[in-house]
Amino acid sequence: MPLALRDLQAAFAAHIMSNDRADLIAAVVGDSIPAASRLNVYRHHVFHSLAGALAATFPTVQALVGEEFFRKLTHAFVADALPSQPVLAEYGANFPAFVEGHTVARDLPYLADIARLDWTLNVAFHSPAEGHLDAADLATIPAEQLPSKTVALAAGAGLIRSLYPIDRIWTVSQPGAPTETVDLAARAARLLVLRRPDDASFIVLSEGEAAFVTALDAGRSLERAAEAGFAADAAFDLSTVLARLLALRAFAALQ
Amino acid sequence: MTTARIAIAAALAAALALPIAVQAQGNMEKCFGVSKAGKNDCQTASSSCAGTSKKDAQADAWISVPKGTCEKIIGGKLAAS
Repeated sequence: MPLALRDLQAAFAAHIMSNDRADLIAAVVGDSIPAASRLNVYRHHVFHSLAGALAATFPTVQALVGEEFFRKLTHAFVADALPSQPVLAEYGANFPAFVEGHTVARDLPYLADIARLDWTLNVAFHSPAEGHLDAADLATIPAEQLPSKTVALAAGAGLIRSLYPIDRIWTVSQPGAPTETVDLAARAARLLVLRRPDDASFIVLSEGEAAFVTALDAGRSLERAAEAGFAADAAFDLSTVLARLLALRAFAALQ
Repeated sequence: MTTARIAIAAALAAALALPIAVQAQGNMEKCFGVSKAGKNDCQTASSSCAGTSKKDAQADAWISVPKGTCEKIIGGKLAAS
Protein backbone atom coordinates (compact mmCIF):
# COMPACT_ATOMS: atom_id res chain seq x y z
CA MET A 1 0.00 0.00 0.00
CA PRO A 2 1.61 3.31 -1.08
CA LEU A 3 2.10 6.07 1.46
CA ALA A 4 -0.19 9.09 1.33
CA LEU A 5 1.63 12.14 -0.06
CA ARG A 6 1.80 13.81 3.33
CA ASP A 7 3.23 10.69 4.95
CA LEU A 8 5.59 10.18 2.03
CA GLN A 9 6.98 13.70 2.43
CA ALA A 10 7.37 13.32 6.18
CA ALA A 11 9.08 9.95 5.76
CA PHE A 12 11.36 11.43 3.08
CA ALA A 13 12.42 14.31 5.34
CA ALA A 14 13.03 11.96 8.25
CA HIS A 15 15.01 9.59 6.02
CA ILE A 16 17.18 12.43 4.70
CA MET A 17 17.98 13.82 8.13
CA SER A 18 18.54 10.70 10.15
CA ASN A 19 18.02 6.99 9.89
CA ASP A 20 16.78 4.87 7.00
CA ARG A 21 13.02 4.53 6.81
CA ALA A 22 12.03 1.04 5.72
CA ASP A 23 8.53 2.16 4.75
CA LEU A 24 9.97 4.82 2.43
CA ILE A 25 12.49 2.46 0.87
CA ALA A 26 9.64 0.03 0.23
CA ALA A 27 7.67 2.78 -1.49
CA VAL A 28 10.48 3.71 -3.90
CA VAL A 29 10.99 1.72 -7.09
CA GLY A 30 14.48 0.36 -7.55
CA ASP A 31 16.14 -1.36 -10.48
CA SER A 32 19.88 -1.70 -11.12
CA ILE A 33 20.21 1.06 -8.51
CA PRO A 34 18.42 -0.07 -5.34
CA ALA A 35 15.84 2.19 -3.73
CA ALA A 36 18.03 2.89 -0.70
CA SER A 37 20.88 4.06 -2.95
CA ARG A 38 18.54 6.29 -4.91
CA LEU A 39 17.37 7.93 -1.72
CA ASN A 40 20.96 8.33 -0.63
CA VAL A 41 21.54 10.66 -3.56
CA TYR A 42 19.07 13.11 -2.03
CA ARG A 43 20.53 12.74 1.44
CA HIS A 44 23.99 13.39 0.09
CA HIS A 45 22.79 16.35 -1.94
CA VAL A 46 21.10 18.06 1.02
CA PHE A 47 24.15 17.74 3.26
CA HIS A 48 26.61 18.53 0.49
CA SER A 49 24.76 21.72 -0.54
CA LEU A 50 24.30 23.01 2.99
CA ALA A 51 27.89 22.16 3.98
CA GLY A 52 29.03 24.07 0.89
CA ALA A 53 26.95 27.07 1.92
CA LEU A 54 28.43 26.98 5.42
CA ALA A 55 31.95 26.70 4.02
CA ALA A 56 31.32 29.84 1.96
CA THR A 57 29.96 31.71 4.97
CA PHE A 58 32.54 30.46 7.50
CA PRO A 59 35.77 30.25 5.46
CA THR A 60 38.01 31.14 8.39
CA VAL A 61 36.54 28.43 10.60
CA GLN A 62 37.17 25.94 7.80
CA ALA A 63 40.73 27.17 7.34
CA LEU A 64 41.41 26.80 11.06
CA VAL A 65 40.14 23.24 11.49
CA GLY A 66 40.77 21.89 7.99
CA GLU A 67 38.30 20.61 5.40
CA GLU A 68 37.80 17.14 6.83
CA PHE A 69 37.03 18.32 10.35
CA PHE A 70 34.86 21.14 9.02
CA ARG A 71 32.81 18.63 7.03
CA LYS A 72 32.11 16.64 10.19
CA LEU A 73 31.30 19.81 12.08
CA THR A 74 28.84 21.08 9.46
CA HIS A 75 27.29 17.63 9.10
CA ALA A 76 26.50 17.57 12.80
CA PHE A 77 25.11 21.10 12.58
CA VAL A 78 22.98 20.52 9.48
CA ALA A 79 21.44 17.36 10.93
CA ASP A 80 19.91 19.45 13.67
CA ALA A 81 19.29 22.75 11.91
CA LEU A 82 17.76 22.67 8.43
CA PRO A 83 17.33 26.08 6.79
CA SER A 84 14.14 27.86 7.80
CA GLN A 85 14.18 30.08 4.71
CA PRO A 86 15.47 29.69 1.14
CA VAL A 87 18.45 32.08 1.06
CA LEU A 88 21.65 30.12 1.66
CA ALA A 89 23.61 33.28 2.49
CA GLU A 90 21.32 33.66 5.51
CA TYR A 91 21.83 30.07 6.65
CA GLY A 92 24.08 29.48 9.64
CA ALA A 93 23.14 32.22 12.12
CA ASN A 94 23.24 29.62 14.88
CA PHE A 95 26.47 28.00 13.75
CA PRO A 96 28.69 30.11 16.09
CA ALA A 97 26.58 29.03 19.08
CA PHE A 98 26.78 25.43 17.86
CA VAL A 99 30.57 25.68 17.68
CA GLU A 100 30.69 27.17 21.17
CA GLY A 101 28.77 24.20 22.55
CA HIS A 102 30.77 21.62 20.62
CA THR A 103 33.65 19.67 22.16
CA VAL A 104 36.05 21.32 19.69
CA ALA A 105 35.61 24.57 21.66
CA ARG A 106 37.53 22.97 24.54
CA ASP A 107 40.65 22.73 22.41
CA LEU A 108 40.05 25.78 20.22
CA PRO A 109 38.36 28.23 22.59
CA TYR A 110 38.57 31.07 20.07
CA LEU A 111 36.79 29.15 17.30
CA ALA A 112 33.27 30.31 18.19
CA ASP A 113 34.39 33.95 18.12
CA ILE A 114 36.00 33.40 14.73
CA ALA A 115 32.67 31.92 13.59
CA ARG A 116 30.95 35.08 14.86
CA LEU A 117 33.42 37.20 12.93
CA ASP A 118 32.83 35.19 9.74
CA TRP A 119 29.07 35.46 10.25
CA THR A 120 29.14 39.21 10.93
CA LEU A 121 31.30 39.79 7.85
CA ASN A 122 28.75 37.72 5.89
CA VAL A 123 25.86 39.80 7.22
CA ALA A 124 27.70 43.04 6.44
CA PHE A 125 28.54 41.83 2.95
CA HIS A 126 24.89 41.07 2.20
CA SER A 127 23.45 44.15 3.89
CA PRO A 128 21.94 46.87 1.71
CA ALA A 129 24.19 49.75 0.63
CA GLU A 130 22.35 52.65 2.20
CA GLY A 131 23.20 56.29 2.66
CA HIS A 132 25.89 57.06 5.20
CA LEU A 133 26.69 59.94 7.50
CA ASP A 134 29.40 62.32 6.30
CA ALA A 135 31.41 64.82 8.30
CA ALA A 136 29.76 67.46 6.12
CA ASP A 137 26.32 66.38 7.39
CA LEU A 138 27.37 66.91 11.02
CA ALA A 139 29.12 70.16 10.13
CA THR A 140 25.73 71.71 9.36
CA ILE A 141 24.77 71.23 13.02
CA PRO A 142 25.83 74.01 15.45
CA ALA A 143 28.78 72.72 17.51
CA GLU A 144 27.01 73.25 20.82
CA GLN A 145 24.22 70.92 19.68
CA LEU A 146 26.52 68.10 18.57
CA PRO A 147 26.93 66.49 22.02
CA SER A 148 23.20 65.77 22.31
CA LYS A 149 22.94 64.18 18.85
CA THR A 150 22.52 60.44 18.40
CA VAL A 151 23.93 58.60 15.42
CA ALA A 152 23.10 55.04 14.37
CA LEU A 153 25.55 52.49 13.05
CA ALA A 154 25.26 51.85 9.32
CA ALA A 155 23.45 48.78 8.04
CA GLY A 156 25.62 45.70 8.42
CA ALA A 157 27.91 47.20 11.05
CA GLY A 158 28.56 44.97 14.04
CA LEU A 159 30.85 44.98 17.08
CA ILE A 160 32.56 41.77 18.19
CA ARG A 161 34.41 41.35 21.46
CA SER A 162 36.64 38.38 22.11
CA LEU A 163 39.03 37.32 24.85
CA TYR A 164 41.37 36.20 22.08
CA PRO A 165 43.27 38.08 19.34
CA ILE A 166 40.77 37.02 16.67
CA ASP A 167 41.89 39.75 14.28
CA ARG A 168 45.36 38.19 14.19
CA ILE A 169 43.93 34.67 14.02
CA TRP A 170 41.72 35.76 11.11
CA THR A 171 44.67 37.33 9.31
CA VAL A 172 47.00 34.33 9.53
CA SER A 173 44.14 32.05 8.41
CA GLN A 174 43.59 33.83 5.10
CA PRO A 175 44.73 32.08 1.91
CA GLY A 176 48.35 32.91 1.19
CA ALA A 177 48.99 34.33 4.64
CA PRO A 178 52.60 34.19 5.82
CA THR A 179 53.46 31.30 8.12
CA GLU A 180 53.66 33.38 11.25
CA THR A 181 52.16 32.28 14.51
CA VAL A 182 49.72 33.96 16.89
CA ASP A 183 50.11 33.88 20.65
CA LEU A 184 46.65 33.26 22.10
CA ALA A 185 47.58 35.07 25.29
CA ALA A 186 48.47 38.20 23.31
CA ARG A 187 45.35 40.24 24.01
CA ALA A 188 41.63 40.50 23.78
CA ALA A 189 40.19 41.97 20.60
CA ARG A 190 37.36 44.38 19.85
CA LEU A 191 36.45 44.53 16.21
CA LEU A 192 34.00 46.66 14.29
CA VAL A 193 32.73 44.95 11.15
CA LEU A 194 31.65 47.30 8.41
CA ARG A 195 30.08 47.11 5.00
CA ARG A 196 32.15 48.78 2.30
CA PRO A 197 31.10 49.56 -1.27
CA ASP A 198 32.35 46.27 -2.72
CA ASP A 199 33.12 44.08 0.27
CA ALA A 200 32.96 43.80 4.03
CA SER A 201 35.78 44.58 6.41
CA PHE A 202 36.68 45.00 10.04
CA ILE A 203 38.80 47.42 12.00
CA VAL A 204 40.43 46.94 15.38
CA LEU A 205 39.14 49.19 18.16
CA SER A 206 40.70 50.15 21.47
CA GLU A 207 38.71 49.56 24.66
CA GLY A 208 37.67 53.23 24.76
CA GLU A 209 36.63 53.20 21.11
CA ALA A 210 34.64 50.01 21.64
CA ALA A 211 32.84 51.57 24.62
CA PHE A 212 32.08 54.64 22.47
CA VAL A 213 30.64 52.56 19.62
CA THR A 214 28.70 50.32 22.00
CA ALA A 215 27.07 53.34 23.63
CA LEU A 216 26.19 54.91 20.27
CA ASP A 217 24.74 51.59 19.12
CA ALA A 218 22.59 51.55 22.26
CA GLY A 219 21.12 54.92 21.27
CA ARG A 220 23.16 57.11 23.63
CA SER A 221 24.05 60.66 22.60
CA LEU A 222 27.52 61.55 21.33
CA GLU A 223 28.20 63.14 24.72
CA ARG A 224 27.20 60.04 26.71
CA ALA A 225 29.10 57.82 24.30
CA ALA A 226 32.20 60.01 24.65
CA GLU A 227 31.94 59.76 28.44
CA ALA A 228 31.75 55.97 28.11
CA GLY A 229 34.88 56.07 25.99
CA PHE A 230 36.80 58.21 28.48
CA ALA A 231 35.62 56.03 31.36
CA ALA A 232 36.88 52.88 29.64
CA ASP A 233 40.19 54.31 28.53
CA ALA A 234 41.89 57.49 29.76
CA ALA A 235 43.71 57.74 26.42
CA PHE A 236 40.44 57.75 24.45
CA ASP A 237 40.79 60.21 21.56
CA LEU A 238 37.29 61.40 20.65
CA SER A 239 38.21 63.53 17.64
CA THR A 240 40.38 60.91 15.97
CA VAL A 241 37.95 58.01 16.41
CA LEU A 242 34.95 60.01 15.22
CA ALA A 243 36.84 61.23 12.15
CA ARG A 244 38.00 57.68 11.46
CA LEU A 245 34.52 56.18 11.81
CA LEU A 246 32.99 58.89 9.59
CA ALA A 247 35.63 58.25 6.93
CA LEU A 248 34.85 54.52 7.11
CA ARG A 249 31.14 55.28 6.61
CA ALA A 250 30.33 53.54 9.87
CA PHE A 251 27.18 55.55 10.56
CA ALA A 252 23.80 55.65 8.87
CA ALA A 253 22.54 58.87 7.35
CA LEU A 254 20.63 61.14 9.74
CA GLN A 255 16.89 60.47 9.69
CA MET B 1 27.12 74.13 29.14
CA THR B 2 29.49 72.49 31.59
CA THR B 3 33.20 72.57 31.00
CA ALA B 4 33.20 68.88 30.16
CA ARG B 5 30.41 69.35 27.65
CA ILE B 6 32.21 72.25 26.01
CA ALA B 7 35.32 70.09 25.69
CA ILE B 8 33.31 67.28 24.10
CA ALA B 9 31.58 69.69 21.72
CA ALA B 10 34.97 71.07 20.70
CA ALA B 11 36.40 67.57 20.18
CA LEU B 12 33.40 66.55 18.08
CA ALA B 13 33.66 69.68 15.96
CA ALA B 14 37.39 69.09 15.55
CA ALA B 15 36.68 65.61 14.17
CA LEU B 16 34.68 67.13 11.34
CA ALA B 17 37.64 69.25 10.28
CA LEU B 18 40.34 66.56 10.38
CA PRO B 19 42.01 66.28 6.98
CA ILE B 20 40.85 63.32 4.88
CA ALA B 21 44.46 62.26 4.26
CA VAL B 22 44.91 61.51 7.95
CA GLN B 23 41.72 59.47 7.99
CA ALA B 24 42.66 57.48 4.90
CA GLN B 25 46.03 56.64 6.36
CA GLY B 26 44.39 55.25 9.46
CA ASN B 27 42.12 53.14 7.32
CA MET B 28 44.94 51.65 5.32
CA GLU B 29 46.67 50.50 8.46
CA LYS B 30 43.85 48.75 10.18
CA CYS B 31 41.20 47.74 7.69
CA PHE B 32 40.90 44.17 6.46
CA GLY B 33 38.58 43.40 3.60
CA VAL B 34 36.77 40.26 2.62
CA SER B 35 35.21 39.69 -0.78
CA LYS B 36 32.77 36.90 -1.46
CA ALA B 37 31.61 35.07 -4.50
CA GLY B 38 27.88 35.17 -5.07
CA LYS B 39 25.79 32.37 -3.66
CA ASN B 40 22.47 31.28 -5.00
CA ASP B 41 19.91 29.13 -3.32
CA CYS B 42 20.12 26.11 -5.57
CA GLN B 43 23.76 25.24 -5.20
CA THR B 44 24.72 22.15 -7.13
CA ALA B 45 28.03 20.40 -7.30
CA SER B 46 29.08 17.79 -9.81
CA SER B 47 29.82 15.37 -7.01
CA SER B 48 26.31 15.54 -5.62
CA CYS B 49 25.42 12.16 -6.99
CA ALA B 50 28.36 10.50 -5.29
CA GLY B 51 25.82 9.17 -2.82
CA THR B 52 25.04 6.40 -5.25
CA SER B 53 28.54 5.03 -5.17
CA LYS B 54 29.53 5.26 -1.56
CA LYS B 55 27.91 4.99 1.78
CA ASP B 56 26.75 8.18 3.35
CA ALA B 57 29.09 9.51 6.01
CA GLN B 58 26.31 10.52 8.36
CA ALA B 59 26.89 7.74 10.85
CA ASP B 60 30.67 8.15 10.92
CA ALA B 61 32.23 8.65 14.29
CA TRP B 62 34.23 11.78 15.08
CA ILE B 63 37.57 10.41 14.06
CA SER B 64 39.05 13.55 12.53
CA VAL B 65 40.92 16.20 14.47
CA PRO B 66 41.50 19.85 13.51
CA LYS B 67 44.35 20.03 11.03
CA GLY B 68 44.13 23.48 9.47
CA THR B 69 45.78 26.75 10.31
CA CYS B 70 44.93 26.31 14.00
CA GLU B 71 48.46 24.93 14.20
CA LYS B 72 49.59 28.53 13.85
CA ILE B 73 47.82 29.51 17.06
CA ILE B 74 49.97 28.92 20.09
CA GLY B 75 49.57 29.50 23.80
CA GLY B 76 46.24 27.79 24.34
CA LYS B 77 45.54 24.18 25.17
CA LEU B 78 45.58 23.11 21.59
CA ALA B 79 46.71 19.52 21.46
CA ALA B 80 43.50 18.00 20.16
CA SER B 81 44.90 14.54 19.51
